[in-house]
Amino acid sequence: MSTIMAAPPKPLPRTGNYRWVSLWGVPIRVMHWAAALSIVVLAVTGLYIGKPYFMTSGEASSHFLMGWMRFLHFTAAGVVVMTAVVRVYWLFAGNRYERWRALVPVSRKNLRNLLRQARAYVLVRPEEAPPYLGHNPLQQMSYTMLYAIAAAQVVTGFALYGQYNSAGIFYRAFNWIGPLLGGIPNVRFIHHEITWVFAIYLPIHVYLSIRADVLEHNSTISSIVSGGRMVPADAKFQDD
Amino acid sequence: MYSPTSHPWTEGETLGHHLEQRGVSRRDFVEYCGGLCAVLGLGNLAVPRMARALQTLKRPSVIWIQLQECTGCVESVIRTSEPTIGNLILDLVSLDYSHTLMAAAGHQAEDALQSAMKQNAGKYLLVVTGSVPLADGGVYLTIGGRTAETILKEAAAGAAAVVAVGACAHWGSVQAARPNPTGAVGVSAIIKDKPVINIAGCPPIADVITATVVHFLTFGRMPATDGDGRPLFAYGARIHDQCSRRANFDAGQFVTSFDDDAARQGWCLYHVGCKGPATFSPCPIFQWNDATSWPIGAGHPCLGCTERHFWDTMTPFYGRLPDIGGFGVERSADIIGAALAVGATAGVAAHAVATGIHEARRRRSLPIVEAPGGGSSAAPPSSPPSVKE
Repeated sequence: MSTIMAAPPKPLPRTGNYRWVSLWGVPIRVMHWAAALSIVVLAVTGLYIGKPYFMTSGEASSHFLMGWMRFLHFTAAGVVVMTAVVRVYWLFAGNRYERWRALVPVSRKNLRNLLRQARAYVLVRPEEAPPYLGHNPLQQMSYTMLYAIAAAQVVTGFALYGQYNSAGIFYRAFNWIGPLLGGIPNVRFIHHEITWVFAIYLPIHVYLSIRADVLEHNSTISSIVSGGRMVPADAKFQDD
Repeated sequence: MYSPTSHPWTEGETLGHHLEQRGVSRRDFVEYCGGLCAVLGLGNLAVPRMARALQTLKRPSVIWIQLQECTGCVESVIRTSEPTIGNLILDLVSLDYSHTLMAAAGHQAEDALQSAMKQNAGKYLLVVTGSVPLADGGVYLTIGGRTAETILKEAAAGAAAVVAVGACAHWGSVQAARPNPTGAVGVSAIIKDKPVINIAGCPPIADVITATVVHFLTFGRMPATDGDGRPLFAYGARIHDQCSRRANFDAGQFVTSFDDDAARQGWCLYHVGCKGPATFSPCPIFQWNDATSWPIGAGHPCLGCTERHFWDTMTPFYGRLPDIGGFGVERSADIIGAALAVGATAGVAAHAVATGIHEARRRRSLPIVEAPGGGSSAAPPSSPPSVKE
């Protein structure tokens, strides 16, 4: 494998001068973990609501399993919507790694780097990946798509939720979704299937984050807790 | 109790007088009006007004036409253990022209319809059951040589309002299910210039039909409707939220097959495809056949028959999710979704192994003391400062 490598091997820095780069503000970090927890809760309770895989026995009056599942689902959904509000606000109020521009890799340089990043992943050549402080273009694209999918999940979720009261605000605000998609059962179907997108996304996201941290010693994992990274003082980045 | 044929209607007679002739006492009649007010969600104060309006009524104020349908809606109206006052009212205010019930036939019958429409032009209520086939010039339904579309347009032209009774008149029902070979549509797809109220259901509950007609006869206008033209007094709430088995749903107690112990205990039918959570209908409250029972009460999941396109979107009737494309996609989709999630995890693991091998080789080839600076052209960042391994 080393024979087909284009670049000579580089050692990882272990000593030397470092600088602190601040990337993720408190709102982003809080939003990330709140959404992460909520999405796990939503997926687990949502799959139960879709197909109750566990049942109670005895008198109905002594149980409230589906009731609690739905309560948790709707509460977690409320948390996700609040994180979305924070994220949208921070698209305009955040620093340049957090702003909306950092989520749309449309410049020529970013598009070229997107392909280089994809190539580095596919061919397992991590040293060929273009270095970024914030999100690389492939991340930018996948997070933007994930936001769009999450928005679809929120909208279809509200359309289903609104059904409980046809005079209520949620029904009135979202009852255009059903006819648009050909009926509430189709809305339920789409809402159900999008869950799988998150289930597929989760292992990839966690793996690539850990992988970057291990391979590059670039404190990717801790950046979503501490808010920034320690990088070699003289290292250059595409988005520095 | 009341025989529908004992007394023929005489010219100039009011409905109140006629009901008296048929043995309906004043008390029974006012009680009936009170019940109807409750169905419509009106207070007691509306009872005298309704009684007065119905008493002074002179026929015919309702014209009922039947198009592409199975007559199930008419059956639903008349199939009670004994004719109620509501049946008599419907019977007496209309049904001069009803394919299922009228005695006349041929040109006589058509003449009766024509003269009723002419005499009451602009004032009568048009009740329609059945859909209108539009494909191939409407040849799939003709009465007396004229197409359903022509008949409907002509009858609607002189109507004050139109009541579309049943799923067929609502949106087309089973004949409009994919691939809809006759091009069947509901009444509201053709009549655009008049209020069309949809009494949804396959068939709808008789009380809802009667109550809507009486609301019009009493107040001269239609009851408030939802976005799909269905009267809110009947279709304002989901079956799920009025269901007698809701406690079992909330408790997490579900029937998984129709012969299991849960089915015998009367648990929730959600698992076997009940569409109650997506269906707006008063079935749990009004029930059927003189409030004898209703589908979920009898242990069968709701099919969602008051919702548009339920033959396509609510199927499979015994499954939770719609059968998009008609080949069991929802089952396949869950399998594919789970397989992709497992596959993504496996792919991630494989990628991690490949990365590990790559990295191990790279580190083994690193110089022990110092590394030369500079990368290739494909890696623009300068190399980190030389460090000791």
